[in-house]
Amino acid sequence: MKDNKSPSMSISRRNFLLRTGWIAGGVTVLTSCGSIIPPLPSLNDPTYEDALSWIQMRADGQVIFYAPRMEMGQGVTVGLCQIIAEELNLPQSAIDYISPNTDQTPPFKMTVGSEGIAKYFEPVSRGAASLKEVLRERLQNSTQYKLHTIKEEEGGFSLPDGQMVSYADLIGDTSLVLNSEMLATAESNADKRKRAGPKAIGESWKDPQLKAIVTGQKTYSRDIAISGLRYGHIIHKPTFHATLDTVDIGSAMEMKGIVAVVPSKENDFVGIVAENPYVLDEAVNAVSVKWAYQDDLGARAISDILDVERIRSANSFEHEILSEGDLNTGRSSSVRSIEARYDTSFSAHAAMEPRAATVWVKEERVEVWSAGQDPFFTQKQVAAAIGRNVEDIIVYTHRLGGGFGGRVRCQASEEAAILSVATGHPVRVQWDRTAEFQNNYFQPAFSHYISAGVTEEGKIGFWEHDFVSSPILTGAVPDYIAWIIDSVKADEGTARGCVSPYQIMNQRIRYSDIRTSIPAGAWRGLGAAPNGFAIECMMDELAVEAGADPLEFRLNNLSASETKIRGVLEAVAEMAKWRDSKSDNSKRGISCAVYKGETAVAIVADIEIDHKTKKIVVKRIWCAQDCGLVINPDQVEAQVEGNVVWGCNMALKEKMQFTDGMVNADNFDGFEILRHDEMPDIQVKLIQSDGTPPTAVGEAAFAPVAPAITNAIFAATGRRLRKLPITYEQL
Amino acid sequence: MINVNGKLFEVPLNLQEASLLMFLRDFVGLTGTKYGCGAGLCGACTVHLDGEAITSCQYLVSDVMDRRITTIEGLADTVVTGDLHPLQKAWVEFSVPQCGYCQAGQIMAAAALLNNIPKPTSEDIRTGMAGNLCRCGTYKRIQSAILNASEEISDER
Repeated sequence: MKDNKSPSMSISRRNFLLRTGWIAGGVTVLTSCGSIIPPLPSLNDPTYEDALSWIQMRADGQVIFYAPRMEMGQGVTVGLCQIIAEELNLPQSAIDYISPNTDQTPPFKMTVGSEGIAKYFEPVSRGAASLKEVLRERLQNSTQYKLHTIKEEEGGFSLPDGQMVSYADLIGDTSLVLNSEMLATAESNADKRKRAGPKAIGESWKDPQLKAIVTGQKTYSRDIAISGLRYGHIIHKPTFHATLDTVDIGSAMEMKGIVAVVPSKENDFVGIVAENPYVLDEAVNAVSVKWAYQDDLGARAISDILDVERIRSANSFEHEILSEGDLNTGRSSSVRSIEARYDTSFSAHAAMEPRAATVWVKEERVEVWSAGQDPFFTQKQVAAAIGRNVEDIIVYTHRLGGGFGGRVRCQASEEAAILSVATGHPVRVQWDRTAEFQNNYFQPAFSHYISAGVTEEGKIGFWEHDFVSSPILTGAVPDYIAWIIDSVKADEGTARGCVSPYQIMNQRIRYSDIRTSIPAGAWRGLGAAPNGFAIECMMDELAVEAGADPLEFRLNNLSASETKIRGVLEAVAEMAKWRDSKSDNSKRGISCAVYKGETAVAIVADIEIDHKTKKIVVKRIWCAQDCGLVINPDQVEAQVEGNVVWGCNMALKEKMQFTDGMVNADNFDGFEILRHDEMPDIQVKLIQSDGTPPTAVGEAAFAPVAPAITNAIFAATGRRLRKLPITYEQL
Repeated sequence: MINVNGKLFEVPLNLQEASLLMFLRDFVGLTGTKYGCGAGLCGACTVHLDGEAITSCQYLVSDVMDRRITTIEGLADTVVTGDLHPLQKAWVEFSVPQCGYCQAGQIMAAAALLNNIPKPTSEDIRTGMAGNLCRCGTYKRIQSAILNASEEISDER
């Protein structure tokens, strides 16, 4: 890129500062004591104005798209390019996608929450349309033709006299970057647009980086090699809350190639820097560190804390999320009722790429090569770690080797920055697998109690749902402010998906935020999967009580207005031939959920109990999903496939346990995930109702998978297993 | 000397006890081979040693002296069909990668599998690839791509 000038110049600086991210859900009340709050992730939703700086057109007519989403395999970047192509009537080859560094765009929101298309569709399409209208106006000004007579063509316009004018003809000598003044007129013309040229939305464009990936040419943050590079290793604290006491560097500094041993009391680590990576292991062994240990809890103690029955017996739920009708009325109108407890486990992200960063701290500039879900958060974190101004820091972004919510921070960036300050060299820090498991935050365990009943007509008579877990969205805030945040409101991340889509006259949902000594934070879908698991298992249990088919029972309890969820239930039933009298439903389970109130997903799981190999085998998964307008069907299907694998993992595999502040499993032998030979067949059907905007995809299909599997296990064995993960031995 | 993708590399003394993975990435500068677990559990670092798949994090440089290593960067050169190996072509055709980080290892494992079993069944693929983890969950596409590539390779033969 030749033009590295910040495009943000054209939009008021103040505006950006306002939106740089201090105003988060529960944190709003605390802005008056800003100095004690650590840097926060970037939280503000995109606006149309932001989009102006993302989409630029070069003098030759090529579009340069500074993608405001970090790519980690969710396919968002190609999808956003399609939206631009659709507006500008361009083929894929006319758009260059760039993963921007922090100088190239104003700060944008962290890449989380399946928002990449859902929230960026509108600003990106309007931004692209505006670019086109500015060009159309230029053409009008240089000819005598009326604006509306200038027709859109592929890559440009045609005039009433038949003359074709390409975008490049209209750009001039320098790239076209929009600003808000240019838009005043352009905006009003935006509705006159009419599609010309090749269709882009709805096509399965391929990620242009595929070839680089399959040939090993794609650069990930671990692959950075710059001249003069030094190699860092971090000796992390062995437990979540240990603090650095003393360090004996032994003979480390006498070893050939060792540049520095850097104890950091503030950050509770010891860094070692070497001229080459081959001597690091030996130096690590030579250094002995004494840690001061805090009281940390074992698995048992933690599950005692996150115990819904304990809070129920004290009757002290912090938040009432929903209260409708009257539970006692509901109870007396129910002919049968049941109660059950459901539990899900702590889990880790276990992205295949353990985090890494290279940082070069120089007098005038600090360069950071890293990969995270929020490069502007990394920028702030690095600035804070080494006491520099945020503007001094430039973060070069890279495709993430997996994110899943676990890479909102990239701690290796701060560590490498500290080591670069200490040595004056560019320093690379690469976490190993153990560090990756031990030093990040986790999906917290959930503990649910649901009591519910059915009426004579097979309707849900009442629904009483209590649950406990740890705050997720505000999981990282320090203890000294956490108590205020927790008392203000329920953590929306933990509570995500806890309200079912069913029509229930009498219901109450209560929740308690309980922090444990285990760091908690974002993980795919946040509360959606654990909450959906409890709800959809109970629905299955209620169907049995009602003597109804689990599909019909769900349909019977959805209000007529819930067309999306009805639609996917009917569709998945059709796919799996659920109602076909020849179908054997004896090893099948069904489930559904609405993600973030917008994307409806239904799943049928077909399982087998293999007594020979002592395994629960998921044979097939059918999935119907309504996520509104589909930009790229193949990418959406890929996301569904990924979510299905995550659902299988949640149901049958994943469980992180802890002893005294340490993970019990620090590699893939202890923390097992689905392998090739355990993969079910997956059939996906996407439904899009006419005229509906695109909604969340990346995490949407996750929640209903595990309950469909456990419901299938019940169908096959008659056993209700309510604590995940389920193993063959429990049957 | 170690032969990496047809080129010979002299091994400095201080690298004898380094892992093959580190040698490839930090000394030879071929970063297509990825670190995933450091324990031979995930397959991200899979390369070929004399045509057989190995996890390069589990080998020392001294273990592979005077032998032939093929990495993802050299895979296409092992066939004469153009700039991509049929597996790489199939990977693009089926849009296999999500994050892409594990895919070099997946492709190298698949190439060795096809060397040993040119016409694998679905079951051969499922068991043969079980050592390679993908957290994004691209297994279905990987398996389809391998089947497809095996058919293409046998058509060419």
